[in-house]
Amino acid sequence: MNRFGLPPQILRLVLLTALIVGTYAVARTLLTPATFGQYGHYRGAALEETASRKPLFAGAKACDECHSDVSEKATKGHKLISCESCHSASSAHVRNPDITTVKLTDNSCLRCHSSDPARPARHKQVTTIEHYPGDHCIECHLPHQPNKSP
Amino acid sequence: MEADLNVLQWSAEVQAALPHVEGYAYPNETHVLWSVLIVIYPYITGLVAGAFIMASLVRVFNVRALAPVYRLALLTALAFLICAPLPLLLHIGHPERCLQVMMTPHLSSPMAMFGFVYAWYMMAVLLLELWLDYRHDFVVWGRTEPGLKGAFYRMLTLGANDISPKALDLDERMSVAVTIIGIPSAFLLHGYVGFIFGSIKANPWWGNVLMPVIFIFSAIVSGIALCVFIYTELSWFRRKDTCDACLDAMGKFLFFALLVDFSVEALDWLHRLYSADESIHVLKQLAAGKLFYTMLIGQLCLGTLIPLGLLGATQLFGAQIPNFVRRRIYYFSALLIMAGVLLMRWNVVIGGQLFSKSLRGFTTFKLELAGQEGWLVGLGLLVLPFLILTLLVRLFLPNEKDQPANTPTIAQLPQLAREGNGADDPAHERPSVAL
Repeated sequence: MNRFGLPPQILRLVLLTALIVGTYAVARTLLTPATFGQYGHYRGAALEETASRKPLFAGAKACDECHSDVSEKATKGHKLISCESCHSASSAHVRNPDITTVKLTDNSCLRCHSSDPARPARHKQVTTIEHYPGDHCIECHLPHQPNKSP
Repeated sequence: MEADLNVLQWSAEVQAALPHVEGYAYPNETHVLWSVLIVIYPYITGLVAGAFIMASLVRVFNVRALAPVYRLALLTALAFLICAPLPLLLHIGHPERCLQVMMTPHLSSPMAMFGFVYAWYMMAVLLLELWLDYRHDFVVWGRTEPGLKGAFYRMLTLGANDISPKALDLDERMSVAVTIIGIPSAFLLHGYVGFIFGSIKANPWWGNVLMPVIFIFSAIVSGIALCVFIYTELSWFRRKDTCDACLDAMGKFLFFALLVDFSVEALDWLHRLYSADESIHVLKQLAAGKLFYTMLIGQLCLGTLIPLGLLGATQLFGAQIPNFVRRRIYYFSALLIMAGVLLMRWNVVIGGQLFSKSLRGFTTFKLELAGQEGWLVGLGLLVLPFLILTLLVRLFLPNEKDQPANTPTIAQLPQLAREGNGADDPAHERPSVAL
């Protein structure tokens, strides 16, 4: 027995348990982000951090300011597709026109139009090994008006 | 006619694009995401729970015949428990993130709860029971072993060096209490694994209230089989005869546990077949097709029916079967059962991802050799607990040859403690328990 009136092995176990629980409590205090739980089960500051990021996409209106002729054509073909869906995020290009957008290839078309059973049947799809293999898409299709030939 | 041609062309295109898919599968079902690591995870936790429950037969249910494997079963449970989270940590690919789950746990997260159940089971049950059981030996070894090894044992005593009969009796009573708490804890640890699968309502192969029960019984079966295997192997390595009474007792418990496990799983299948909901056709196809070898041949025939027959024979004709034959029957049955339970985990985890939720198609799973979720990693994870157990056995289960004569078994210890054998005089201290 000791001054706590506990057998030695129980005293050791009590102290060890207190040490483990205390370590967890301290670790939890130190490792939990300060704003965790401010609004819900996540880090509250994450909202401000996300909101403060500079947008990468400029939006179709920004494209239309300089490329209204192309936008006009696109409304008749790929009317539901935003410019940046194919031309990539372009806020840098909007700020500085010398920075060009990505160059488009056949894969840009096939990303949506290669045959895939998961796509709706009404969606135009081609099997590349059968559909004019070796030729490029833009030889027969205008990208902004895909129903028209060049 | 044109529509038929379109369907034919469409099917040909599907076959060309997804050769591993049969019939119709949704796009997110073509790849099996829970791979061999998720198979091994419930297998290892099941072995832990089973080994612990077998050890509890000695402590709580006073099955004296199993005393020679009591400590071995606890050490086995510890070796496998240390490895239990590894498959998950490897699977998520960011093992350091497990800390976040523990620091800001959410009650709705099964993974967070697993962390606490695991910590509880490891520290409040298994390590505590081992410490109480070994405290006397730690004190003795701390005094007798030289150098670092002695210092290591002294450290493990945590400074509690009182080994008077009164103190040992208190250890014994606390140990029984911990084991009693440990049984529901072991059920919780492994029942939780079955719970994870059983609560996935979208998957008819998994979403089943019997799933935690099936997992627990298969865990008990695999844990006892593992103890039979390790006890036999350890005796062989130490050139010692196995205790036939102990093996007979383990064989008896193994047989009855396997019988209950088989009955519960058979009940599950009978219920599925009789209720015949919309998923039964695809499940029957799955069992007879993709899982034919792993389920019907491996799990059912090799892992269940043959061991049931062999172990049943030892129960019916035990007296007529020579001892050396019975030993081999137990060993061989244990190997088959361990393989069968591993295949059961495979069938649940992989099988549940092989059929489409459309109930109209299947995908294929091919296990890679190397890589994060390959054969080699899986094999390493299954071998690692045995390596850890080897170390634990060397440290904490000394060979009987190194022990004084007339070494008592664990079953004799409480009585010895109460009789006052091993008072503070080191010459009469309670000798260490031999295997």
